[in-house]
Amino acid sequence: MMHLSDLKKHLIALLVILAFIAFLPMVITQRYFLGEIILFMIWASVATQWNVLLGHAGVFSLGQMLFFAIGAYAVAMMGYYLDASPWMSLPIGASAAAVAALFIGLACLRLGSAYVALLTFAIVFMVGTLVMTETNCFTTVGQTCQPLFGGGNGFSGFDDLGFRKLLKGKWVVGNYYVVLGVLAISLLASIIVIHGRLGLAFRAIGDSAIYAAARGMNRTKFHLIAFVITAFFTGLTGAVYAAHFRFAGPSLFDFSTLVFILAIIVVGGLKSTWGPIFGAALIMILVEFAKDMGDVQNSAVGLVIILFVLIFPKGIAGSATKIFRRAMTAKNL
Amino acid sequence: MDALLQILITGLTLGSMYALGSVGLALTYGTMGMFNMAHGVFMTVGAYMSYTAASLWGLPIPIAIISGILAGGIVGAAMHLLIVRFMLDREDFQTTIMVATAGVAILLQDIILKQYGAYPFRQPLQIEGSFRIGQTAITYQSLAIMGIAALMIGAMAWLLTKTRFGLAIRATAMNQEAAQLMGVKTELTYFQVILIAGTLAATAGILISSLASLSPSMGTNPLIRAFVICVVAGLGSVTGAGFTALVLGVMEAAIGYYFGVRYGFPVLLGIVIVVLIFKPAGLFGKQGVIRA
Repeated sequence: MMHLSDLKKHLIALLVILAFIAFLPMVITQRYFLGEIILFMIWASVATQWNVLLGHAGVFSLGQMLFFAIGAYAVAMMGYYLDASPWMSLPIGASAAAVAALFIGLACLRLGSAYVALLTFAIVFMVGTLVMTETNCFTTVGQTCQPLFGGGNGFSGFDDLGFRKLLKGKWVVGNYYVVLGVLAISLLASIIVIHGRLGLAFRAIGDSAIYAAARGMNRTKFHLIAFVITAFFTGLTGAVYAAHFRFAGPSLFDFSTLVFILAIIVVGGLKSTWGPIFGAALIMILVEFAKDMGDVQNSAVGLVIILFVLIFPKGIAGSATKIFRRAMTAKNL
Repeated sequence: MDALLQILITGLTLGSMYALGSVGLALTYGTMGMFNMAHGVFMTVGAYMSYTAASLWGLPIPIAIISGILAGGIVGAAMHLLIVRFMLDREDFQTTIMVATAGVAILLQDIILKQYGAYPFRQPLQIEGSFRIGQTAITYQSLAIMGIAALMIGAMAWLLTKTRFGLAIRATAMNQEAAQLMGVKTELTYFQVILIAGTLAATAGILISSLASLSPSMGTNPLIRAFVICVVAGLGSVTGAGFTALVLGVMEAAIGYYFGVRYGFPVLLGIVIVVLIFKPAGLFGKQGVIRA
């Protein structure tokens, strides 16, 4: 067998997975299914970033949806007020999310992990409430009042990625490949972080915080780096979400959205590299079935989280590795 | 002067509800290092149960309140027996339990939503009337809220400090292994702690719903308040949580009065973050006391 470094193995796996997803529109032509796969890629990207932060860096942030929302709102507001094309606002949204993460991280990350979780959760809730309860009109369009941050309705109907004009009926395919591009960047970044030098630092801090500190590693610094990097890519994903759906609203701050993504990570396997991709696929399918059974998706997501935490705490990725290892040792015997 | 009195009354009413909500949370964290994301839904369960008992079954109000409180305890106990019990020995208990209880929260909230619908109900447990001090009207309702909160927290303080059962809880909080070696059945202690936290949360929920209204997501708002209060007080400090709740309640009322209700919580959160920059373990927390 060839001797490849961990990093290279994962990069090859990345190419295979991306090629597979890129090939799908050749066989699937229904717009509905393509839309579902786009949504899958978006959630998979968010979950991947969160998994890097939560599973690998050990920062228990519950604030990821805030960074997603910042990216989405940046695209929405620039499109709505300035008629800016999402192509221009995508990087701006991502950078805005990273800057916000820098400030929140500086304020919170020195604290213990439980404090970080509670504070980030409170900050998201606060921002969500402020956006939702905003009533002062910033502009008035026709008869409707538009608050600066969109109020309870959010923004919709701003400029899209431009594929509607370019590809006419097949515009979804255009969006599909843009989202795939974002997923590719997000996955690539996660692999480089997890299996590169940063990942090594995370592992050292996770194994023994005191020993790592004694060797001169600054825990807060590494946590802050992880926080900002993942916020950047989460923001980018949020931006592309807004560009695809032409929508950004306060529903992004909902508790159920947060738990939905937690479910993806838990089912996929915390601390794995590829877990969130499989988790996203499974949870999307689960939610689809639950919707058919009378809108019980939240109950279903809750139940699945509880079951996985109790019975398969390492998720699918963990269980799969275990079975694989067992099979390998059985063969060697 | 009148404004001051008004702020004080509103603030103390808010604060006593917050105290009731956060003391249980602080107790569970202090004893077992568990942050219960379902704590807010326990409040919702209590509120809906007493609504059901009073409005749908026509039971007298005191019994309705008691059945609501019991419902919170039962849900808490069930969660311990079905889920928490099996996770206590996990290495990463602190994080996984938050994920698991978040699952419980969304599940229970969805069940309540499906059962009662999203339409907000009025809580029938109301006391009409008010009296005046100078120009300030004080409702009997807010007096009752403060009274019930003081009663419940007093009862818990008595349990914790004056009984053998409370001694076991405090011993477990200080050092789990030492307590076990001294013959404390720590698993039973954990069960009792969640039971107490559930009843306190349910009481808070009933009181909160008597001022606002019933809705499936009514627990989220007080839960976040409770989080912030526990963080400022220092995680696990029960007395600290009680005091902080009262202070933050009055502060929120004052900010709400002068700048608008919308800014009450955001300004509060800003102050909290500033406090934490100077006292990273909270106001009443001792650095390094919390078990890793």
